[in-house]
Amino acid sequence: MSPMNAAEALHRARAGLPGLLVLLALVAGLVSMISVAVSDHPPASQAQQVQQIAAGLHCPVCKDLSVADSPAPLAQQMRQEIAQKLRAGESAGQIRAGFVAAYGESVLMSPPRQGVAGAVYYLPLLVLAVGLITAFTLLRRWLRAPRPEPSGAGPPQLSATQRRAVARAVARLREEEPG
Amino acid sequence: MGQLGTYLLLFGLAVSGYGLLAAAVGAKTGRPALVESARRCAFGLFAIVAAANATMLAALLTNDFAIRYVAGNSAQETPAFFKALSLWAADYGSLLLWNLILAGYIAAVALRFRRDRPPTFPYALGVLFAVQAFYLILINGPAHPFASLANPPADGRGPAPLLQNHPLMAVHPPFLYLGFSGFTVPFAFGIAALLAGQGSDQWVSVIRRWTLVVWCFLTLGLLLGALWSYSVLGWGGYWAWDPVENVALLPWLMATAFLHSVMLQERRGMARLWNIALVIGAFALTTFGTFLTRGNVLSSVHAFAHTPVGPAYLAFLALVLLAGFGLVAWRLPELRTPSSLTSAISREGAFVANNVLLLAATAFILLGTTFPLVAEAVSGQQITVGGPYFRSSVTPVFLLILLLAGTAPLLPWRATNRSRALHRLRVPATAAALVMIATAWAGVHQVGAVAGFGLAALVFVTSGQEILSGLAIGRHGMRGSAMRALARGRRRHAGLIVHMGLALVAAGIIASSSLGQQSQVTLKTGQSTVFAGQVLRYQGLHTDRQPQRIVLTTAVSVTSPSGGSAGTLDPRMNLYPASTAPIGSPSIHRGIVWDLYASVISLQDNGDSATFRFYRNPGVNWLWFGGLVMALGGAAAAWPGRRRRNSGDDKSAGQARTRPAVEAGAR
Amino acid sequence: MSGRVTRRRARLLAGVVAVVAVIVVLLMTGLGKDPSVIASPLVGRAAPNFTLPQLDGPPVTLAKLRGQIVVINFWASWCTECQVEQAALDQAWRRFRDSGVVVIGVDFEDSAGAARGYVRTDGVTYPVVADAGSKTALAYGLRGVPETFVVNSSGRIVNHVIGPVGGAALTSVINSMLTGAQ
Repeated sequence: MSPMNAAEALHRARAGLPGLLVLLALVAGLVSMISVAVSDHPPASQAQQVQQIAAGLHCPVCKDLSVADSPAPLAQQMRQEIAQKLRAGESAGQIRAGFVAAYGESVLMSPPRQGVAGAVYYLPLLVLAVGLITAFTLLRRWLRAPRPEPSGAGPPQLSATQRRAVARAVARLREEEPG
Repeated sequence: MGQLGTYLLLFGLAVSGYGLLAAAVGAKTGRPALVESARRCAFGLFAIVAAANATMLAALLTNDFAIRYVAGNSAQETPAFFKALSLWAADYGSLLLWNLILAGYIAAVALRFRRDRPPTFPYALGVLFAVQAFYLILINGPAHPFASLANPPADGRGPAPLLQNHPLMAVHPPFLYLGFSGFTVPFAFGIAALLAGQGSDQWVSVIRRWTLVVWCFLTLGLLLGALWSYSVLGWGGYWAWDPVENVALLPWLMATAFLHSVMLQERRGMARLWNIALVIGAFALTTFGTFLTRGNVLSSVHAFAHTPVGPAYLAFLALVLLAGFGLVAWRLPELRTPSSLTSAISREGAFVANNVLLLAATAFILLGTTFPLVAEAVSGQQITVGGPYFRSSVTPVFLLILLLAGTAPLLPWRATNRSRALHRLRVPATAAALVMIATAWAGVHQVGAVAGFGLAALVFVTSGQEILSGLAIGRHGMRGSAMRALARGRRRHAGLIVHMGLALVAAGIIASSSLGQQSQVTLKTGQSTVFAGQVLRYQGLHTDRQPQRIVLTTAVSVTSPSGGSAGTLDPRMNLYPASTAPIGSPSIHRGIVWDLYASVISLQDNGDSATFRFYRNPGVNWLWFGGLVMALGGAAAAWPGRRRRNSGDDKSAGQARTRPAVEAGAR
Repeated sequence: MSGRVTRRRARLLAGVVAVVAVIVVLLMTGLGKDPSVIASPLVGRAAPNFTLPQLDGPPVTLAKLRGQIVVINFWASWCTECQVEQAALDQAWRRFRDSGVVVIGVDFEDSAGAARGYVRTDGVTYPVVADAGSKTALAYGLRGVPETFVVNSSGRIVNHVIGPVGGAALTSVINSMLTGAQ
C-alpha cells in the first residue's frame, strides 16, 4: 500500500512541476521588469532634454517627422532655439507654449488634453471597452450553448460512406495537427 | 499613341461592363452559358488593360511629350529605367497599374475556376467586374492618363526627384498594389456568399487561400515601404506614422485577423458572419486608403498632386460600405450559427482574443489617423496626431499579441488537455524569463523593451519547439524524412514559421526604437568625431554632374578604435532642377546586430564644412529578415497541397461537421 | 419570413445607413480644403518685433515702424514661387510708400550672395533684410516661403497669406486699411 501511495504522490508532484516552472518563469520576468522600472535613471543632460522637447514638436516644414528626427534646416534652428531657451531657464511647458503661440496647436505632436481635441486620449479606451464587451458576450453565448449530446449507449451507427468521410476527416486532422 | 491608349481603355470598360451584365444575369437566371462567356471575358479584359499599360510604357520610353502625363512625369535626360518606372510615379499612371493588377486577379480567378465552380462563382465574378468597371470609369473620365497637350513641349518635367532616386521604386508600388487590389477577390466572394444566400462554409476555403496570397504580397509591399523610408529618405527611421502608411497597415491587420478566425469556421463551423464582415472590412479599408491617398484630404509624404477624383473615391467607398454591411445586416438573422465552447481557455478562445487585439490596433490607428480631420470638422481646430499617440496606444496591444502568439499554439481545441499545454510551455517560458533577466541586467532601461524582448523570445521558442515536435512525431509515425514530416503538417508549420518571423520583426522593432543612438555634428574637411565606438573623419566633397541631376558626395572614413579601417560612408545630396531643396541619400553600413547610418544634411563653404547626422540603429536587419520570413511562411501555407483523390478543400469543411459525431461517440 | 425578422432587418439596415452617412459627411468636410494650409494663430495679435540687418544698409527694427502699415514678405532666392509675387510687391511699394506703407522682404535660409543676386536680377526696390538663424521666421510661425503678413499701424497683424500674394488682393487690403483704419 505504501509504495503505491508514494508513487502516486511522486507522480502528482511531477505533474505539477510544469505549472510550477512556468510560474517561476513568470515571476522572474516580472521581477526583472520591476527592477528596471524602479532603478535610478540618471537625470537627463541638456542635450537629452532638448531631444525630449523636440520629440514632442512637429517639424513645420516636414510631413510626419518630429523636430528631433527631422534633418530640415528649420528643425535644426528650432533645436538650437530650444537649447537657448533651456539655458535661459525656461521650462519645457513654456518652450512649447512659445512655439504654439507662433505656429498654433498643430505644432505639437499630440493634441492638448482639453477640448474636443482631447477626445483622442479617451476614445481608444472607449473603443477597447466596446470590443471587450462584444467579445465577452460572444464567448458567454458560446459557453452557454448546449453541447451535442451522445444519444443512447454506444457509438452512433455510421454507413460505409460516412465511415469513409470520417476516415478522411481524421487523416486530414492528423495532417494539420501532428501534435 | 495617346489615342490608342484612350481607345484601349474605352474598350476595356465596355468589356468589363459586358462581363458584369453577363455574370449578373447568368447568376440570377441560372444560365451557365452566360456565366461562361463572362468568365472568358476576363482574359480579354486582362489583355486589353495590359496593352494599355504597354502603350503608356512605350510613350514614356519614346519621349512622347504630346501626352500630358508623359510631359509631366518624364524628361529626356531621365534614365530609361526610371522612365519606365514613371508609369506609376503619379496618380493617373499608377491607376493604370492598379487596373492592370485588378484585371490580372480577375483573370486568375477565371483561370482557377475553369472547372469545379462553387455556386457563388457567378456572383463573385459580377462583383469583380463591377469593381473593375469603377476603376476603368475613373481612368476613362476624370483620371485620364492619355490626355493630350495642344502644344507638346520639347522636354518634360521629369519624375518627382524623390521617385527617381532609388531602384526600390521598381518594387514598392507594384507589391503594394498586388496587396491592395487583391482584397477585391475575397470581398467579391464574400458578397457573393451573402447574395447567394449561402453563408455556408463552402466559400471559406476558397477565400482563405486567396486572402493568404494577397496577405503575402501586402506584407512584402509594407516591408519594402519601410525599407524605402529607411534607405532612401535619410531620417534614420523606417516608419513615421504617416497617414498613408497607417491606412496601408489597416487592411493587413484585418486580413491577419481573418486568417486566424477563419480557422474557427473551418474547424468548428463558428464565426461565419464575423468572417464575412472581416473580408468586407478589409476591402473597405483598402478603398478608404485609396480615398485618403488620392483625395488630398490629409497632409502626407505620399500625397499625389491635387486631382479632382476625391469625390469619386468617396462615393465608391460609400457604395462598398452600404452594399457590404447592408447585405450583412440583411442576412444577419440567417447566418447565426449555433456554436458551442467548452472553455474560454482554448484555441477557440485564443482566436477570439487574437481578433479583439488585432481589431483594437486597427481601431486605434484608424482613429488617430482620421482624428485631425474629424476634430477640424467638429470644432475648427487644426491639430496633429503624431508618433507619440500611435506608439503609446499600439505598443501594449502589440505586446499582448506577442504573448498570445507565444502561448496559443500550445492550447488545444475544445480545451481537452490543458495540462499538456502547460507542460509544453516550460521551455519557452524559461527562455523568455532568461532573456528578460539578461536584458534587464545588460542595462536596458525601458520596461516595455524588456517585456518585448522576453515576449519575442517566447514566440520564437514556442514556434520552434512546436515545429521540432511536429517533425519528431511525423518521423516517428512513418518512415520518412524530416521534409515529408514538415509537409504533412504544412499549414500548421507554415503558420509557426510566420510566427517566428513575427518574433524577429518584434525584436527588430523593439531594438531599433529603444536602443538607437544618434548624433549631429558639423565637421570641416579633415576633422573627425567619435561615434558608436568608431572614428568618423570627413574627407571631402566630390561633385558629379549627371544629365538629370547633380550629385554631391561626401566621403567619411570609418576607423575602428584599434586603427583598422572599416570602410567609407558616402552620404549624398542630390540637386534636381525641378526641386528647390536638395534630396539627401543616406549611406548605410549594415551589420547583423546594428547599422551605422550617415546622412549629410547641409554643406557650408563650398563643401569645406558639412553637417552630418550619424545613427547607430540596432536590430533593423532583423526587421527585414523577419518580414521576409513572414511572407515566405505565408506563401508556404498558401501552396497547394498534394492532389487528393476526392479533390478539394471544399469538402474539408463538410468533414469538419462530421467530427462532433465521432467525438461524441468517443466520450 | 416572420414580421419580427423583417423588422429586425430593417432596424439593422437603418443602422448601417446611418453609420455610413456619418462617415461620408465627416470625410466630405475634408474634401474641399487644402490640408497643407494651416491657419496662423498670429492674425489679430501683436506682430513679433525683430531687428534684422539689411543686405546693404542699416538694420531695420519693426517697432520703429509703428504708425505705418508694414507688409512683411518672407522669401528666398531658391524659391521659384516667390518670383511670381515679385511684381505685385514692387508695385505695392511704389504705389503706397508715400501713404505710410512699408514693404520689407525677409530672406529665409539663404546666403547673402544668392540674395543679392536675386535682388539685382529681379529689380527689388523695397528694403530687404536677412534672417540668419531663422529666429524671426520661427517667431512668425513660418512653414515655408513665400508667406506674407500685413501689420496695421498699431502693430497688429491683420492679414496672412500663404503662397504668392496676388497684386489685386494686396492692393485691396492696403486700401481698406488706409481708408477704414483697421
